Amino acid sequence: MEDKSSGSPSSLVDQPVVPGDVVLDLSTMPNQTIKLGGGLRQDADVITVMKAGRLRFLKPNKYWVESSQKRYVPRVDDNVLGIVVDTKADNFLVDIKGPAIAFLPVLAFEGGTRRNIPKFEAGTLVYVRVVKANPGTNPELSCTDASGKAAEFGPLKDGFMFECSTGLSRMMLSSPTCPVLEEFGKKLSFEVAVGLNGRVWVNAASPATVIVVSNAIMKSESLSSTQQRIMARKLLEKVQ
Amino acid sequence: MEIDRIDGRSPNQLRPLACSRGILNRAHGSASWSQGDTKVLAAVYGPKAGTKKNENPERACIEVIWKPKTGQSGKQEKEYEMILKRTLQSICILTINPNTTTSIIIQVVQDDGSLLPCAINAACAALVDAGIPLKHLAVSICCCLASSGYVILDPTKQEEEVSVFL
Repeated sequence: MEDKSSGSPSSLVDQPVVPGDVVLDLSTMPNQTIKLGGGLRQDADVITVMKAGRLRFLKPNKYWVESSQKRYVPRVDDNVLGIVVDTKADNFLVDIKGPAIAFLPVLAFEGGTRRNIPKFEAGTLVYVRVVKANPGTNPELSCTDASGKAAEFGPLKDGFMFECSTGLSRMMLSSPTCPVLEEFGKKLSFEVAVGLNGRVWVNAASPATVIVVSNAIMKSESLSSTQQRIMARKLLEKVQ
Repeated sequence: MEIDRIDGRSPNQLRPLACSRGILNRAHGSASWSQGDTKVLAAVYGPKAGTKKNENPERACIEVIWKPKTGQSGKQEKEYEMILKRTLQSICILTINPNTTTSIIIQVVQDDGSLLPCAINAACAALVDAGIPLKHLAVSICCCLASSGYVILDPTKQEEEVSVFL
């Protein structure tokens, strides 16, 4: 099946693309450095799409495909929510919804020494940062930020965790603040931890608040920002 | 010379297509594809860690399970599984996630002819929904040779049964 090759790079930007679409033809653009993000791959002289999504372009030369999936592709410096599956001598085995299980070194905590190793049982929810993510190996995690401080990483107690798609997690972490969280934040007080791997944890003083906030977040995936505000206000009227 | 098909289509005309994705809650990717009355549901799970013993650990492994509408899986289902596995291996980029397994489960909801191409289309849509990296999309169509010597596309079950060659 032959596809029409787009000679000019800007024809597909911000459009939905499917695997096999040719985005750029490098033979027509000599001597340029292009940076490719997720979802694109280089096949000799053309750049084709690997995953279906929307093509995005950032000046001067960055292209990537924005897509939303249920599974996560580990990338360095992402903050994710993992569930501890097993404990080994040197590492905790943590599931982060990716293709391979991730390792969390036992010493990767602030002030971690061999004497004060934390005891995580199977099933503990942890908020961690991805340190290494190479295609063939298991990703490595850490409970400290780049300078070695704890910075809110670590186990999360109480509360309620639910799974969503990676696109929804990115929207919740975008700036300006996501409309749903902003509207709820004006009237209710709650804590939320968003993992870029599609897991969200919500905690509040009363279970009713936790339920309202979780349901609102799950429903807000396909709504525009005005619709999200309207939905949030309607739910708040019912709660109070 | 016009050939008369039972439902009044011309020899090159396809039945109406319908596709929806994201229908199964727990699967990582899912799609349903229907051509006329033939309907197939495909679910994708993965990539998950670990490959089977005989498979190359440097590449991703694809596993296909075909569930017929009624009865147990037999030789016909195994043949469909093998054909689908070869097709999907040629469109997936296998070197991106080495040592992982992606499982694709096909469930036949209704069979009214042209079943294997419908399943290939459904599996490709489900892989796109799950975000598995693909080189390009796969499209398939069924054609059969009627007894009068004409080639007709997208046969129904009745036409398949009287055709000379499928």
